[in-house]
Amino acid sequence: MNPTFTLVVSAIALGLPTAGFLGNALSAGRLPRRVVTLVGPGVVLGAFVATVILLVELLAQPPAARGITVTFWHWLDLSVGSSTGAAARTGFNANFTLRIDPLSVLMMLVITGIGGLIHVYSVGYMAGDSGYNRFFAYMNLFITSMLLLVMSENLIFLIIGWAMVAFASYALIAFWYQRPAAVAAGRKAFITQVIGDVGLVLGTFLIFLNLRGSSGRLLHTSDLQTIFANVGPGSHYHNGLGPMGGGLVTVIGILLFLGAAAKSAQWPLHTWLPDAMEGPTPVSALIHAATMVTAGVYLIARFHAIYQEAPVAAGVVAAVGIGTALMAAVIGCTQFDIKRVIAYSTMSQIGLMMFAVGAGAYAAGMFQFFTHACFKALLFLAAGNVIHALHDDQDIRSMGGVSARMKVTFVAFLVGSLALAGIPFFAGWFSKEELLSTGLALGPAVPWLWVIGVSVNVLTSFYIFRVVWVAFRGEPATSLAAAAQEAPGVMLVPVVVLTFLAAVVGFLNIDFFGFHPVTLFSDFLQPVVGSPAGHAGAGVQALALVVGTGLSLGGLAIAWAVYGRKLVSPGLISQRLPWLYQLSLQKFYWDQIYEFSLVRPTLAVAARVRGVLEPRVFDGLVNGVRDGMSTLADDLRSLQTGYLTDYALIFFLCAVVGLIVLGLRLA
Amino acid sequence: MSGLFPGFLTLSAAMFALGALGVMVRRNPLVMFMSIELMLNAGNLALVTFARYTQTMAGQVFALIVIAVAASEVVVGLALITGVYRSGRRLDIDALSEMRE
Repeated sequence: MNPTFTLVVSAIALGLPTAGFLGNALSAGRLPRRVVTLVGPGVVLGAFVATVILLVELLAQPPAARGITVTFWHWLDLSVGSSTGAAARTGFNANFTLRIDPLSVLMMLVITGIGGLIHVYSVGYMAGDSGYNRFFAYMNLFITSMLLLVMSENLIFLIIGWAMVAFASYALIAFWYQRPAAVAAGRKAFITQVIGDVGLVLGTFLIFLNLRGSSGRLLHTSDLQTIFANVGPGSHYHNGLGPMGGGLVTVIGILLFLGAAAKSAQWPLHTWLPDAMEGPTPVSALIHAATMVTAGVYLIARFHAIYQEAPVAAGVVAAVGIGTALMAAVIGCTQFDIKRVIAYSTMSQIGLMMFAVGAGAYAAGMFQFFTHACFKALLFLAAGNVIHALHDDQDIRSMGGVSARMKVTFVAFLVGSLALAGIPFFAGWFSKEELLSTGLALGPAVPWLWVIGVSVNVLTSFYIFRVVWVAFRGEPATSLAAAAQEAPGVMLVPVVVLTFLAAVVGFLNIDFFGFHPVTLFSDFLQPVVGSPAGHAGAGVQALALVVGTGLSLGGLAIAWAVYGRKLVSPGLISQRLPWLYQLSLQKFYWDQIYEFSLVRPTLAVAARVRGVLEPRVFDGLVNGVRDGMSTLADDLRSLQTGYLTDYALIFFLCAVVGLIVLGLRLA
Repeated sequence: MSGLFPGFLTLSAAMFALGALGVMVRRNPLVMFMSIELMLNAGNLALVTFARYTQTMAGQVFALIVIAVAASEVVVGLALITGVYRSGRRLDIDALSEMRE
């Protein structure tokens, strides 16, 4: 690969959204709406073109050579060693370097491609909003931050991107700042992100302080490739974090996962994601479905060298992922807010990705990320069309029957649902079956987790088809639903493109029973994440395929029986198992638990500090100093008589005293 | 010559003490100025004596600087005194105490 060319193209990919953000933000809303409409989505689509060029350039290389680090400038460089070759230098540096390899290009494709489609959609969705310019400024900022996060080769800049996406997410969730609920949701999301940031930063510090190079010397590096080269089993000094024992690498793995869990809304840091649905729907599609929430999965896949050395940490990732997947799927079955159902679905699907990357099936996890980005963005945008038609009503009980007048939206939502549920030959089916069969084939601790993972299928397909039947079929529940109009063309085009993607992207990776395998996707990622340690045999694949697909179809059948044909009353579960129904409806009470165990004690302490500590101690201290100074000044003022003779006398007396003291010391 | 140094220094100290006394006890600003001049020149005398004693030039140069400073100080001081006189007030230093607290 030509380094200069790669540098220029990646600078364009990162620079265009940055320029869009700066231009839009610095103009403080004075840009004409027409300019914003062109520039906002335009810069993202431009970045997409640059990304495609990078992809073509990567594909032109032999697989082993797909990966290049481009250095923009040496921002802070305290490293020592020979200047030839980055690997020879050790020591702290925060250089602005980007990594262009299959993993980062895959992320960039999703961020700029699906992000670009969502920008186009936003032109229609936000058309009537007074904050139109501000919206696109934030959206471009988000794209910039997310690109920085996935492209950065240096941990320092990765953390900067990591924190910037949290800010962009906060700004966009709280976009309608006149709504108290939106502001509270934004704040909740941001605070949760910061908890995760602490984990990521502490993990970085531990790596920085303890990583040793091949000679046993401490490296003090923050370059990702240097870190990975000295952690993996292939390194000369096996596991550069080894001298402290396996415990240290496990701690690092868990700390990094804390960051990933906050970003990806995994238990116990998951409660912000459903509340984030207060933001505009394109935001939910872009940030809280396709890109930012999957940054945690990216982080684990990027740091797989560390997780391969820390089986306990990887096990925690897999177990937390699968637990979150099950919990979120159960909650999703009873929610009435269409966006919250999809949000819990996102949480659940990311849980499955976490299970995959925790189990070591990195390519399978990233494939699930890729298909999920397509069909989940689609579901959000299609839901956005309905919400828009119903004047921002998100309750599925006030929809119903909109499929008759919103045919395109209905087909799009249906395809998205089929893909999400894992119904054969839609994108989600391929990725989920691969994920589950690889997960089953790996490791001894995985089988019982796998059983939970596969049982999530039935819930997934039940809750999403519940939405399909309640919101789209049947009789209109309100006059607004009866008069729903199909969305304008600018909103339909991205939806149609995504519908196409959700239907076909699964065919990039088909590997059932070794029969005509298509492994474009996993081959593409192989240079970065390697191949799974174990491969699913035909028997395992058949089991995963039959059970997984059967359960998906089963969930679809149940939803049809309950909400389609109304053969079974929806109240059956709530009457027979009221505790389970309440548990699901109340979201497992996590919000209440946090409210009572964390939020209220913190507020109580804050109130006590405000009421007692601050007026008595802090104010007392400050006021005491002030009063003391004032008294002293009053006393000293009486020395100023205004008589020159007095001053002269004092002056001379002091001089005499000084001279006497000086004389005594000299003597 | 060297035997005279204590005498010069004694004279210098006496002039300085006289000047200091004048500054403190006299009320007329003009006389106070003259007393200050006396003190400055007492200092000059000491400087020159020490310069002679140590056979170096630094004290002599410093005495020249003191003369220059004294001249500038008199310019400012006389201007102030003239200003006070023009404003129609008595030239009594105790009457000029408006700047007390």
